[in-house]
Amino acid sequence: MSSLNTFGAILSHAIDLEAQFSDWYAGIGEAAKAKAADKRRRKLERARRENVVEITLEPIEGLNADDYALDLSDNSPAGQAAAAQVAARFYADVAPKINVRAAQRALERCGKEHAR
Amino acid sequence: MSRIIKNYVDGEWLESGSADLIPVHDPATCELLAHCPDSTSADVDAAVSAAREAFDEWRSTPVLVRAQYMHHFKVMVEDNFEEISRIVVREHGKTMDEARGEVRRGVESIDFAMSVPVLMRSDGLEDISSGIDETTVRQPAGVFAAITPFNFPFMVPLWFLPTAIACGNTFILKPSPQTPLSTEYLFEMLDELDLPEGVVNLVNGGVTSATALMEHPDVTGVSFVGSSPVAKIIYETCTRNGKRVQAQGGAKNYIAVMPDANIEASVSNILGAAYGCAGQRCLAAAVAVGVGDAYDQLKDELAKRVAGLKVGYGLDETTQMGTVISDSAVERIESMIGQSEGEGAEIVVDGRGFHVDGYEQGSWVGPTLIADVQPDTTMANEEVFGPVLSLMKADSFDEAVDIINQSRYGNAASIFTNNGKHAREFKYSINAGNIGVNIGVAAPSASFPFGGQKDSFFGDLHGQGMDSIEFYTERKIVIERWV
Repeated sequence: MSSLNTFGAILSHAIDLEAQFSDWYAGIGEAAKAKAADKRRRKLERARRENVVEITLEPIEGLNADDYALDLSDNSPAGQAAAAQVAARFYADVAPKINVRAAQRALERCGKEHAR
Repeated sequence: MSRIIKNYVDGEWLESGSADLIPVHDPATCELLAHCPDSTSADVDAAVSAAREAFDEWRSTPVLVRAQYMHHFKVMVEDNFEEISRIVVREHGKTMDEARGEVRRGVESIDFAMSVPVLMRSDGLEDISSGIDETTVRQPAGVFAAITPFNFPFMVPLWFLPTAIACGNTFILKPSPQTPLSTEYLFEMLDELDLPEGVVNLVNGGVTSATALMEHPDVTGVSFVGSSPVAKIIYETCTRNGKRVQAQGGAKNYIAVMPDANIEASVSNILGAAYGCAGQRCLAAAVAVGVGDAYDQLKDELAKRVAGLKVGYGLDETTQMGTVISDSAVERIESMIGQSEGEGAEIVVDGRGFHVDGYEQGSWVGPTLIADVQPDTTMANEEVFGPVLSLMKADSFDEAVDIINQSRYGNAASIFTNNGKHAREFKYSINAGNIGVNIGVAAPSASFPFGGQKDSFFGDLHGQGMDSIEFYTERKIVIERWV
């Protein structure tokens, strides 16, 4: 079990998640979706770099990475939708736990894009 | 034999003339990372000569060009952000989030230095007498040095270096020999910037090189961050040698928690304030004073959550608290906890004898919570510089203020409350340089001076903010008449 118990753990998990999506979409010929995932990854990297605020770093409780594992074995439209739903749920759960608004907004936007 | 770190003098990486080497370890794995030379007076002399030689050309380099160097420097730090953060974790032992936060604050200081073309501007007045105008001009003051601590090895040098050189001075940095690797990386980036030779110089070492800098006749001013006893020595030595000096010392930062505070939210922030960087920061929360009913609530909530903090290797992102810097720090901190126990305090969560699986050789002290601390005891008065939070009880707001103001330190103090009157009274009456309201780590951003009063600061002008512009410049008054 891997805890999402710090600002960095959450942002890094999100970055890794988007990297997985990007690779997967590229591998199944979904170039536009791969590009969008890569763009989200880069935005999240920037959010992690620019919004880590020393004075408000606080422990985070109640989130576990295993609850958001992606199943990328089903390439069908239904399989893609299911994976996107997991991602949208992840972003919906983690964004409220982040106490820096700019980083929270970056996570919320990613969630909205996956929920479309 | 691991590699030996070099000094950077006059635009070149040079070996120190010293045969004395200080080992640099990763405090979690105990891996030997490098050796730091204990540089000699001759090494310092070479650096000061290079800086002195470079000064005339650098001060006449247009200020916009100097600021542009800072812009490129910032881009380099951003591009290498993760790598720098990892180096900070490895040499210091803090968590990845804390290291990223440190690098971020370093970037803020570079941002501030980019504003020097505005901040160095002065004022003037026409017709102070018939046909006579008077203006002030800020000019760089010469060669400056900074002696920086282990606890923020990348950030603290950046409180000083960017503003000093953007103002047109030349600079020598002597970092802590315990954590010289992120400053080495910093100078690799500065080397890539292609600044004129001698504008920035790095001398690694300990007391010998620090003393040589303080006594060198060609050094105009010295900045220091470290413990109070050393800060006092630095201040006295520098002033005796006719230098400007800003010496930030240690701290014993108090937090007052009022009964009207949101205890759960306050505790989240207090955990970060007390145990962040394993308590090794001059703004760490050291004592929480629970006022009235808040004391028991605070104690219960903290007891529940302190024990649950995940302690481990900083490169694991799920780690919430890292190591302390060395085994001797472990010994000192554990001894102080024992002393407190002997003085009758209650050790609610005991971090002594702490181990982390897979890192058995690491310098660990677990998060420690001590209750029923009395005003005249060790934990109420002495800086621990480790992951130890003490709890004291006050019957009223006024008693809490009295307890806090009795400290000989005055670095920071915070209040957690929902009552504006108490917040206002706290800001007004507490004798400390940095005040937090519902913030446990009252760390000023780069455009504000880093406060500090009483035994926490020796000098007149603080680091950061407009104080730093004052520190790094001379003001010249020009009175003109043309007939």
